[in-house]
Amino acid sequence: MSEQRNGTSGDVETSIASKRITDAAAHPHSVTSQAPPTAPGAMEYDYTNFYFGAGKDAFALLAPFDDWWREVKPAGYYLYELPLHSAPSTRVDVEDTKTHEVRSGLINFASYNYLGLSYRPEVKEAIKAAVDQYGGGSSGSPILSGTTELHRRLAEEIADFKKKEAALVFPTGYSANVGTIAGLMRSGDLVVADQYAHASIIDGMILSKATSRFFRHNRVEDLDRKLSGHEGKKLVIIEGVYSMDGDVPPLADIVAVCRKHGARLMIDEAHSAFVYGANGRGVAEDQGMEDEVDIHLGTFSKSLGGQGGYIAGSHQLVNYLRGFSRSRFFSCALSPAVVAGLRKALELARNEPELRTRLWDNVATMQKLLADGGVPTGDSTSQVIPIMVRDDARIFQMGEEIFREGVFINPVKYPAVGKHKSRFRMSISAAHTKEELEEGATAIVRVLRRYGVCQ
Amino acid sequence: MPVGEYDFRTGVSAFFEMATPDALAVLPAYLQPIEVRHQRSVLSVTAFLFEESEVGPYTELMFAVIVPPMVAKWGQHAKAGFYPFLAATSSERARRQRAERYHFRYLEQDIDAQFIETEDRIRVRAWSVGKPVVDFSVTQGAWESTSHLLQGFTAAGDQRFRTTVQISGEYTVHENERGTMTLFPHPMIAPLLGREVSAYPFREHWFKNGTEVFYGLEAF
Repeated sequence: MSEQRNGTSGDVETSIASKRITDAAAHPHSVTSQAPPTAPGAMEYDYTNFYFGAGKDAFALLAPFDDWWREVKPAGYYLYELPLHSAPSTRVDVEDTKTHEVRSGLINFASYNYLGLSYRPEVKEAIKAAVDQYGGGSSGSPILSGTTELHRRLAEEIADFKKKEAALVFPTGYSANVGTIAGLMRSGDLVVADQYAHASIIDGMILSKATSRFFRHNRVEDLDRKLSGHEGKKLVIIEGVYSMDGDVPPLADIVAVCRKHGARLMIDEAHSAFVYGANGRGVAEDQGMEDEVDIHLGTFSKSLGGQGGYIAGSHQLVNYLRGFSRSRFFSCALSPAVVAGLRKALELARNEPELRTRLWDNVATMQKLLADGGVPTGDSTSQVIPIMVRDDARIFQMGEEIFREGVFINPVKYPAVGKHKSRFRMSISAAHTKEELEEGATAIVRVLRRYGVCQ
Repeated sequence: MPVGEYDFRTGVSAFFEMATPDALAVLPAYLQPIEVRHQRSVLSVTAFLFEESEVGPYTELMFAVIVPPMVAKWGQHAKAGFYPFLAATSSERARRQRAERYHFRYLEQDIDAQFIETEDRIRVRAWSVGKPVVDFSVTQGAWESTSHLLQGFTAAGDQRFRTTVQISGEYTVHENERGTMTLFPHPMIAPLLGREVSAYPFREHWFKNGTEVFYGLEAF
């Protein structure tokens, strides 16, 4: 039998034809392990290992998960859900739950505040005024008592901004996706989404009971295949900017395939609305395909720095979903204070195009800083920059060191991304100063060099 | 206690998405597939080149659906379960032992296999009775030492069993979608033909120089 060799170039073939196998009697083998099986290290496990578990008790997974969590949290999982003690500005005060210290003035690359609007004085003033007039919550579903004049105006202003006939406001971006997809599609229909689609898109597909398929990320030929052979209603769902990779879809090609198959197209511009396009209307505007997309979805929690979601499209679409989007219908409406802040933030985003200019300038600066440092950033062309570490075992160690070097940035590993596609997800804001970008990049590069991620 | 130990030189395992109705079609009613995403279950195609065992050296090819493991306390909790619905070996002796001991269902004929290793890829070609069965490949990422704790589910008549399997050795895994698979119209894989199975693995595993240890069967 020929030997297999590691790290050789050229083919090394090992033939295992049964007739060539040596008589087993010549190689007696006894069982040598006497110990019961032992689990591998806790860090070799992840959330997925506790998602499914057979047994009769609905709580069966709770105890092993809890025990596992106690082991892995101090080893790195504590880096999630760290409480902020300040506004999500470009510098933040963050509580270190491992040491119970508050670390002040960390450079913030973790928040979605792409235009720096959430803490603008004008926005805060609008919120305060709404609290004075309306109080805390909306105290009702949008279709009953929860809609205020502010909600109605926000919907009109979003429709106007997006150059669409109408818009519908949802309590969250998650509920916008779930309510739109499940509100529109039914059992027997077909929904095809990009494989990197957000969880809320997938949950909407599940709730709709439609047949679900996923096409390989941004691969139009695979979308074509996945749409083939279905005669009924079809909906294709893509994102404007993919939240873990920061890349954008080839819209013209996707539109062509959708038309070929008679499929409707929905784009989730959660990370691209208000920042992409000459007027900030999103990737669809940027690629000149606004009228070719049937459903424009977005969130208020990213660039506008607030909370909530919306869809924009035809009067008929909005009217139908007003009646059939259960996630909106059966949720409490957004707080009037949040809506007031959103209206002001939208006004600022529309009236201050220099915010987008500054954002893209900052993105270019950071891309150059990272490129100069030899840091791999995948295919990102947006303000979402993945710093590709590709080391599941050590990303938390790197994350701890970056945190202690004064930078707040989130590690992302499996199952949020594929195995060994671990990364730090960096969010750039128009509000970052050049000094903050340089200081942050320098600290990150310094740590990554220690781990050999870059030279 | 361990009841079987198999030293391997190479082990290749690739996870493919398959339609959940197709996965349910090959599972017994008491097992449910794990869904890697909505309506997409996991087909595991595995080939091991065992160098040393109590039944001698041999090669095994196994098709399995990934299922939830029975929950155990932390420390003995398996990462995943698998239900092998098609398997074949290169030796009758190995086949008989594993069928009797673990109740895996084996093709009655020998299978031949080639493990073809290039710089960053290993390709497995398997055939039986002169006809090709499957040709699949995985690629390498970073290598590390690992130990996997898994549960295998089997049945004998009306009886259901599970066994704990520990696989240790050098290991690489990634989800870069660089592997491949071609299924041939061979009777062995008839349950898979015409099914909605992806042609590339979403997850690629590659083991070297390790040990597969089986612990006793438990009825459940």
